[in-house]
Amino acid sequence: MKKHKTIMAAAFGLAFASGAAWADITVGVSVSATGPAASLGIPEKNTLTLMPKTIAGQKVNYIVLDDASDTTTAVKNIRKLISEDKVDVVIGSTITPNSLAMIDVAAESKTPMISMAASSKIVDPVDDKRRWVFKTPQNDQQMATAIVSHMVDAGVKTVGFIGFDDAYGEGWWQQFSAIAEARKLKIVANERYKRSDTSVTGQVLKLYAAKPDAVLIAGSGTPAALPQKTLKQRGYAGKVYQTHGVANNDFLRVCGADCEGTFLPAGPVLVADQLPADNPVRKTAQDYVSKYEAAFGKGSVSTFGAHAWDAGTLLVNAVPGALKSAQPGTPEFRAALRDSLEGLKEVAGAHGIFNMSPTDHLGLDQRSRVMVQIKGGSWQMVK
Amino acid sequence: MLLGQDGVTNGAIYALLALALVLVFAVTRVIFIPQGEFVAYGALTLAMIEAGRLPGTLWLLLGAGVLVVALDGLDALRRGGMARLLQVVAANILYPLALLLLMRTTSTDTWPLAAKVLLTLAVVVPLGPMIYRIAYQPVAEASVLILLIVSVAVHVAMVGLGLLFFGAEGSRTSSFSDASFTVGPMMVSGQSLWVIGTSLGLIIALALFFNRTIYGKALRATAINRAGARLMGISPALAGRLTFMLAALIGALSGVLVAPIATIYYDTGFLIGLKGFVAAIIGGLASYPIAALGAILVGVLEAFSSFWASAYKEVIVFTLIIPVLVWRSLTSHHVEEDE
Amino acid sequence: MSNPRSSAVPAPVTGKVPLVRALPWLLLVLLVFVPVTLSPFYVTLLNYIGLYAMVALGLVLLTGVGGLTSFGQGAFVGLGAYTTAVLTTSEHLPAWLAWAGGSPWLALIIGLLLTAVVAVVLGSLTLKLSGHYLPLGTIAWGISLYFLFGTMEVLGGHTGLSGIPPISLFGWVLNEGEEIFYLIWAFLLVAILTTRNLLDSREGRAIRALKGGRVMAESMGVDTSRSRMIIFVIAALHAAASGWLYAHMQRFVNPTPFGLHIGIEFLFMAVVGGAGHVWGAVIGAAVITILKQWLQDILPVLFGASGNFEVIVFGVMMVLILQRAPNGIWPILARWWPDTASKRKVDAGAAPLPRRQMPAAGEVLLQAIDVTRKFGGLVANNTMNLSVAAGEILALIGPNGAGKSTMFNQVSGVDTPTSGEVLFRGQDVAGKTAREVARMGMSRTFQHVRLLPEMSVLENVAIGAHMRGSKSVLPAAWRLDRAEEARLLAEAARQIERVGLAEHMFDAAGSLALGQQRILEIARALCSDPCLLLLDEPAAGLRYREKQILAELLRKLRGEGMAILLVEHDMDFVMGLVDRVVVMEFGEKIAEGLPEEVQKNPAVLEAYLGGVA
Repeated sequence: MKKHKTIMAAAFGLAFASGAAWADITVGVSVSATGPAASLGIPEKNTLTLMPKTIAGQKVNYIVLDDASDTTTAVKNIRKLISEDKVDVVIGSTITPNSLAMIDVAAESKTPMISMAASSKIVDPVDDKRRWVFKTPQNDQQMATAIVSHMVDAGVKTVGFIGFDDAYGEGWWQQFSAIAEARKLKIVANERYKRSDTSVTGQVLKLYAAKPDAVLIAGSGTPAALPQKTLKQRGYAGKVYQTHGVANNDFLRVCGADCEGTFLPAGPVLVADQLPADNPVRKTAQDYVSKYEAAFGKGSVSTFGAHAWDAGTLLVNAVPGALKSAQPGTPEFRAALRDSLEGLKEVAGAHGIFNMSPTDHLGLDQRSRVMVQIKGGSWQMVK
Repeated sequence: MLLGQDGVTNGAIYALLALALVLVFAVTRVIFIPQGEFVAYGALTLAMIEAGRLPGTLWLLLGAGVLVVALDGLDALRRGGMARLLQVVAANILYPLALLLLMRTTSTDTWPLAAKVLLTLAVVVPLGPMIYRIAYQPVAEASVLILLIVSVAVHVAMVGLGLLFFGAEGSRTSSFSDASFTVGPMMVSGQSLWVIGTSLGLIIALALFFNRTIYGKALRATAINRAGARLMGISPALAGRLTFMLAALIGALSGVLVAPIATIYYDTGFLIGLKGFVAAIIGGLASYPIAALGAILVGVLEAFSSFWASAYKEVIVFTLIIPVLVWRSLTSHHVEEDE
Repeated sequence: MSNPRSSAVPAPVTGKVPLVRALPWLLLVLLVFVPVTLSPFYVTLLNYIGLYAMVALGLVLLTGVGGLTSFGQGAFVGLGAYTTAVLTTSEHLPAWLAWAGGSPWLALIIGLLLTAVVAVVLGSLTLKLSGHYLPLGTIAWGISLYFLFGTMEVLGGHTGLSGIPPISLFGWVLNEGEEIFYLIWAFLLVAILTTRNLLDSREGRAIRALKGGRVMAESMGVDTSRSRMIIFVIAALHAAASGWLYAHMQRFVNPTPFGLHIGIEFLFMAVVGGAGHVWGAVIGAAVITILKQWLQDILPVLFGASGNFEVIVFGVMMVLILQRAPNGIWPILARWWPDTASKRKVDAGAAPLPRRQMPAAGEVLLQAIDVTRKFGGLVANNTMNLSVAAGEILALIGPNGAGKSTMFNQVSGVDTPTSGEVLFRGQDVAGKTAREVARMGMSRTFQHVRLLPEMSVLENVAIGAHMRGSKSVLPAAWRLDRAEEARLLAEAARQIERVGLAEHMFDAAGSLALGQQRILEIARALCSDPCLLLLDEPAAGLRYREKQILAELLRKLRGEGMAILLVEHDMDFVMGLVDRVVVMEFGEKIAEGLPEEVQKNPAVLEAYLGGVA
């Protein structure tokens, strides 16, 4: 009791000392830079260092906290950002459960929040609480539709599913199974595995025994390579689909030749250079890739970082409007920023074009995804 | 059949870890949760060497070495003079520096695989005794619970360091052998044979070590009776360091073995270690053969439950462990006085 | 070892009474004003501390005091959180559950009941596990429950359940962190208070004996399996209540906060704070929560934002703390905390406890008939016969390895003879537990002293009176047991005075000399109101003067009609005191009779001197 009072006093003083100066725009960020979602959170965290330091002449301060992929910490972080650091907007978190948990706090304090997690549940339906919440990544639903369409076009009739034993795999299963059913695709196997499993032989044998025309692997980052490698080992010859979660170069490194020919939907940023010259996303995506690779090395870019970048892009476009009506650091500014975010139209980000509306707080359309195939150890846009 | 093979291969790794855990517990009463981290460090260090990059573990080795010298230096100087001090410095600071020099000047990625493995072990294994010196030795006499909690703290720090060194994404290394054989209806991969063979070899080597060498006998003596061993002139600190050295060796070697068949991440170690721990406990933290059998059991159970109901795999594995525990508990000695 | 009070550190209270006495109240007042003075975030932080402390408090009881290590507490937190989450958010509750929907308070009660049931089931499976199997058992069900939370559709799967309503109390909606703050800390303070009360009671002494004293406690009539289950369920309930509060504060649940990692972290908090002390739970939760927060604030300033050093530095700092304070932080702070309990007065005027009807002098109480005990091929006792009557002292003597201790074990019910029978007051002792034997009126001391070194002499002796009280957990927690408690303590004090240890009544038992500890064991045995006393080498380690006092005491007891069987090495002590002697060698009786006769018996002389001469 006594001890924590003293520490508290110390911490208290510290918080004030490091607190932001008045009237600057303060952006609070909670990313999952450690824990199971670290492979998603780290590029996001890296991207934040590339964000503009001033918007419309106003200095912008970023306060970045790690939530260790844990909901409790995520909620603690957003409470701290809002009540201690008086942030004008919150970006985060990386994963769906954390983002869902943060919604209540954001809405309670009337602070706009831009999530970097995939599930459509975060912004849909836009109700009293979700008024305050926006997000940048494509919904799983959009990506799943792309996969199902591609499968149907390629003549696939039966499909096997294997996904992470967590919110990611679960979200995909819900979306994919619903859409597949609507399009008369038959799902013949449904398996789960853990991100950290060292073997998926059991699951793969079962998939293999069901003889699907195609297999969808719903995992993110390098752990998604394991089922595919095991499938190859067992001599599976059908099509393999991955999700956009694997879209980084580490995946190619680990999966190597075994992933040759794999299809996946992804944000256009993954194949920025292959986009047609008239695609409005091409320029913004290339811009992001070159900035990121200049800072963190060639080949280091991943699509997840680009979600953070898009959050920044949204702010860059929304802040000037909000500044007209209120001063940063005030509730009025936060409300104005929210309104301004909701009114954004035709904003080109690295992942697509955002058209927000009072009923759509994501604003991405078909232009936000492309089908990509792994060929010769690199990402190739399909047609 | 394939599942069985898969289970046995994984079981072999668990068995190695279980042996290390049993050994560490018997000698030092430490439940060595960071055992799994050595697996990850071993695998990922090898992967970095293969990629021609300088593994971060080397810096850790150097840092830990400096700390050990800081802790031991004065004592060495007082007791053994300059020569003793130099010895300590050589072992803890000059050695990592020499490795650093070696890796900086030669391009290790072109070395033969065996040499890379040896280099990996040379980097990772000395971390074991250093960690014992830094974290455990000052509290060597504390209760099992305290030692366990220290283990948790060490585990937390090592996972954090792993993330820092290796990043969040996993790695695989090239196989020892790409061969695969068809025996009857089964296809056996060369790497599985490597894993099982090396595990068996290591288990036999350990048995020989404990029965034939003076250090091995000293460790056994310490495990059986700590106070008695001390009276016989076996230093508990030495026994501790030696044990941790072996544990680190086993861990790093397991990592090197699994790296080609599974993707290893900075945080993979915990779950592998946990399963090794399950096996070790089935062996009562005392019996090596039963622990090894337990490990195979866990491996096979895991393989089959991942086949039958993959979403419930961990639930099945860990729920089935309980009856085994009850049975083991009932068959072990009865009148007990918990520590 | 465990002691909920601060006897590990001498706490000289008397010198600085006013300030120290006032400290707890001062802090309580501070606590009341926290929400109005501190910024909302620090209130939030204190909320988390309160929630964690509650789980850690359960672990203090379970692990620190009871010696049962559990990694699975996170799962119980989840159970409490998920019960309320489902009941208050789901719109499609099955009909039989519909009445429970919507109200957090009903959900709390259901959650606690459910947790109690689950805990009893899990406990009856895993608490039987001995030694290291137990922690693993807790890991096993901890992980299983965690994955069940994640795989069950009703529970929102891995994504989680949102939209949990806030708690309302008499129409007051606890929406804000500052409002729920009072509820959390009220829960915690009540939990701490009741836990302290519990530990300072008849049941509490039994619980405190679990760690390192099970054999002793059983032979004093304590049902240690029941005590283990009690603390297991209490710890689970603490965790579930914390989970309930968590769910309504967070308004969202998903499986990650209830996994194994969190279970380990709770244990961590308890140990860092001081696992043997109720306040250790609060300190541990506070230190760890604040340290993490503080690292998150300060490290980016020191190292820049490039890496994630928080966990690394956190791990290293924990190792350092444990090295500096292996018993946790609380014992270090405790010197500034009033030690209210150790100077408690014994109410000498409390009504004496009812006593057993003593058998008439000369009635044969204990009879061993043709007792044979074989261990494999080794015959440790061969057709041994002996009997002890009320008002008589019988000595069982013999050289080392003669089988005296084995015989003692057969007689006291610890071991069962291979053949032959042991009758106590006409009833067969074989197959009875130490507890049942104790109830029948046989009480014993141990060759290797078995007492709880950190507990006071008074409390150690009071364990002996366990069977003579009946008040259990709930009355103890709410201090409804005070009348009975006063009688138990008065009885203990009487026995302590009787054996001559009155001046040490409030000292830690471990601080006594070995001889005094043996005497203490006799007082403890007497406290159970026996008619037969089994003493295993009571004079070993005693000085001449002490032996005389002991002999005097035993004579007095004999005079009161007590039957006494003593196993002894010390011939001088035995010869001047006892009525009859049985001499053993190689597992057999070689002589029996009056001390003087036996002393002249050639076989006895051979046994004792032959080997040497």
